[in-house]
Amino acid sequence: MTSLYYALIKAVQVYDLNNDVVQRAAKKFFSYINSLLNIYSRIILVRYRDYIFFNKQRLRFEIDGYASLQFIHDKLKKLNIKSLIFSSGIDKNEIVRFTSIFKEEKETFLKQFSEKKFNHVNIEFSTIEEELSDYLHDGERIKRTYFRALKTTKDLMHNLGTGQPVDIRSSKRVIYNLIDALFQDEFGLLALTTLKNFDEYTYNHSLNVGILSLTLGQRIGLDKKDLVKLGISGILHDIGKVIIPKALIYKSQRLTDEEWETLKQHSYYGVKQILKAYGLDELGLISMIVAYEHHWNYDGSGYPAHRQNQKPILFSKIVRICDSYDAMTTPRTYVPIPYLPHLALKVLWKRRNTFFDPILVKVFTRLLGQYPIGSCLELSNGEIGLVIRQNQSNSDLPIIKIVINKDEEKIDGIIIDLSVQNGLKIVRPIYLQKYGINPASYFV
Amino acid sequence: MENNLIDIVKSLVKTVKAIQMYGINHPSAKNFCVPFYKKLTDFLKNNPELDLQIEQFFILHADEIIHEEKEKESSIAFRLFRNGIRNINFTEGLSYDELLLFLETISQFSREQDIALNLWEHDFTHINFYVVEEEEQILDYKIPEIPVKNIDYDANINEIINKEKIDLNAIMNPDLAFEEFNDLKTEISNTKKLLVVPLGITTLINILKTNKPREVIESLNELVTQCVDNNDFYNARRIVYALKQCPDINPIEKFENETTIIGFQNMINTSSKDIFDEFISFIRFFSKESIPHFINLMVRIKRKNRLLSLRSRIINIARNDPTHFLKYSDSKDAAILINAIALLGLMKFKDTLSLLQPLMFHPNPLVRIEIITALENIGQITNIAEFLDDGNSDVRLKALQALTKIRYPKIYDNLLRRIKSKDFRDFEFTEQKEYFNCLVASGGKEVIKHLKKILFKWLFFGRKKYTIMRKLAALALVNINSKETREILLHGVKKRDKNIKSACEMALKQK
Repeated sequence: MTSLYYALIKAVQVYDLNNDVVQRAAKKFFSYINSLLNIYSRIILVRYRDYIFFNKQRLRFEIDGYASLQFIHDKLKKLNIKSLIFSSGIDKNEIVRFTSIFKEEKETFLKQFSEKKFNHVNIEFSTIEEELSDYLHDGERIKRTYFRALKTTKDLMHNLGTGQPVDIRSSKRVIYNLIDALFQDEFGLLALTTLKNFDEYTYNHSLNVGILSLTLGQRIGLDKKDLVKLGISGILHDIGKVIIPKALIYKSQRLTDEEWETLKQHSYYGVKQILKAYGLDELGLISMIVAYEHHWNYDGSGYPAHRQNQKPILFSKIVRICDSYDAMTTPRTYVPIPYLPHLALKVLWKRRNTFFDPILVKVFTRLLGQYPIGSCLELSNGEIGLVIRQNQSNSDLPIIKIVINKDEEKIDGIIIDLSVQNGLKIVRPIYLQKYGINPASYFV
Repeated sequence: MENNLIDIVKSLVKTVKAIQMYGINHPSAKNFCVPFYKKLTDFLKNNPELDLQIEQFFILHADEIIHEEKEKESSIAFRLFRNGIRNINFTEGLSYDELLLFLETISQFSREQDIALNLWEHDFTHINFYVVEEEEQILDYKIPEIPVKNIDYDANINEIINKEKIDLNAIMNPDLAFEEFNDLKTEISNTKKLLVVPLGITTLINILKTNKPREVIESLNELVTQCVDNNDFYNARRIVYALKQCPDINPIEKFENETTIIGFQNMINTSSKDIFDEFISFIRFFSKESIPHFINLMVRIKRKNRLLSLRSRIINIARNDPTHFLKYSDSKDAAILINAIALLGLMKFKDTLSLLQPLMFHPNPLVRIEIITALENIGQITNIAEFLDDGNSDVRLKALQALTKIRYPKIYDNLLRRIKSKDFRDFEFTEQKEYFNCLVASGGKEVIKHLKKILFKWLFFGRKKYTIMRKLAALALVNINSKETREILLHGVKKRDKNIKSACEMALKQK
């Protein structure tokens, strides 16, 4: 529906309203919404946070139809429209009339909307302030899901490490809950991946890779069944590490060649662990393949040894990217200060075509934005803001919360949408750790 | 509380119980499903959604109890609650099929079934639900503190930039080009078609090249069974081949029993040539002990070429040891005996002749035919010639065909004598023709002279009866296809005798 409406808006922007192109686009859109109005009494498009809901169902940002959905979202945002309602009885002419003003700037639109009478088109407005105040509230379910998932990941890895039986049902339920959370608010879920735990690196990292993989998988349009496989594979990708001595995993000095060889065995140990726990059903096999392939590079290099023409499966390529990103942005014993998120993203970008699949890196970059959630930005007014949300159409101008004032004092500051705030510039990304602040504390 | 809301929930409970009692496809269950769908969709026409909360023994709407049932075994609320479902939400646009699938899922009896997981897997569009875990509680998680350290963070940033050689000014444009978009779509669609088992097998076989862990060996062993059950003999063969490096395991052993091998009969008659060929390739790993079962399987094969393929594979498995064929050489079951004889012949076992001789007078002509083939394989021509006097025309024909194939000159005079005898004209045309073929095959230069004589023989009486002889001679000449035979036939065309003329014309035409 959004694609058809997008086509109509584009046609109206270029041609006269009586032009054939406009009329054809209007006819197509009208015929589609007419068929929907046979099922639904009204068609309600709601813009909430970064999302569009169609009659209470969230429309997902996927590569198919991404541009049109993004366009409609941005247009509604610019016009401060919270919901747009088409009711039964609407005809083609009313659609064209409305679209002709929908393309206008805010003031003109508001004026014309009140002047021209629309019997079957209703609008509800909201203010930027109302919207921004809402960003860090809500999301209780998502947080609960995240911590439940973290506990399950811990139990899973602990049981595997100690040879105890694994509760597969519980891990599946966790993934479904994560997928529900993802469909509800993927950016809210992504924000939780900023939680990095130095002492429990493997658990946090595994879950974060699972979540990042799910988010990337959803963005490229994988269906729920595939997302379940991808999510479990993401969480289990490093499961082989439970076999590796902890002293080696947490060693702070540079690894010797021999130690490095031992560490590399985790891909192979992962296969063993997954086979033991999950057996040979589809989920087990996919997870096993990903655990084995997640260090295979796009150019055929990587470990364990394989033929250069042996390509990793899509899920392994997704996990490869998410694993590297989360590892880079997480403090570890041998890298106590992690990479800033935007630098980690630049490393991925630089190594596309060699280590990483270039197309997936692009989608991942689009998903996270130039300054991923959890980044800290020094602003032109001397304040420091934490990125709490992306602006999908302005990836270099995110939504931030001020956390440090000009006097370098910790504050519970306001939320600012940099894409609508004039005059405030980003000076550079910085480490919030400098101020003893864990970025995750704002999301959890 | 609206009356229709109470009615809808009552209807939901009754419908679920009816499905549990009769099954979703039973007309009695449908009698509940249809009105329930109507009530629900009527409600959704006037309300955007129907939100039901689930508590241990209750179904509620807007915090008011609508339904209560405290008997755990029969309570729908309890079953949903036990599975962690706390909320169910129906929205406008719900279709009948979607509702049926939902009802079927929540009607599941078994404690083993995870209703929430099953609901999730259906990915409903107009039914939402919220699930909590059994011990749902606010998980107490302490955010790790980050102590302020005396670190030069800016230096760290520069270090990373230098180490990774990052160009901060490089533009990262994440927009996908049209080709990239298409490539991604293709890859996703290929992923949907992905056959996980073969890929998993490849991964496990890869590991076997460097390690021999028990889990991998056992999994591969299990996957062979999966593959065989699914007629995927290609991957079964890959696994068995890879597991040859592991002497402690015999992945084939479990298939080497009569039930399994006879169970291959449906597959062996499959319309897919590829599956059959892969099967034949796969069974090369079987041991000699399985041969008797394969002989039993052979009698169930419908296609001749497949039977021949299986026989030659069995010979391969037997590796010059006829023990398992010999067992059947006195079988009362003709079909099994025939296969045993065929295998003995194919094996070219030196004592085959002595084993076959007592069977040459077997009452079943099919057995005698198979003996001829076996004799042909082991090169026992003299014994084949003995079958020319067999009482069964099919056996005689098979003997003639075998002799034709072998080209045995010593039989020539015998054949010629038989052809010239009066009785010969009483044989079936096919047999007569085969006699001439055999004559040509076993004869030397003199065969043309003899055929010419038969073709041009002058007769005063019985010309009509002799016509067939002329035709057969002419056909035999044309088959020799030499300059001399062509001239003979052309000469025959000019003859005044109509029979000779037409026999030659027909032969030349056929050529």
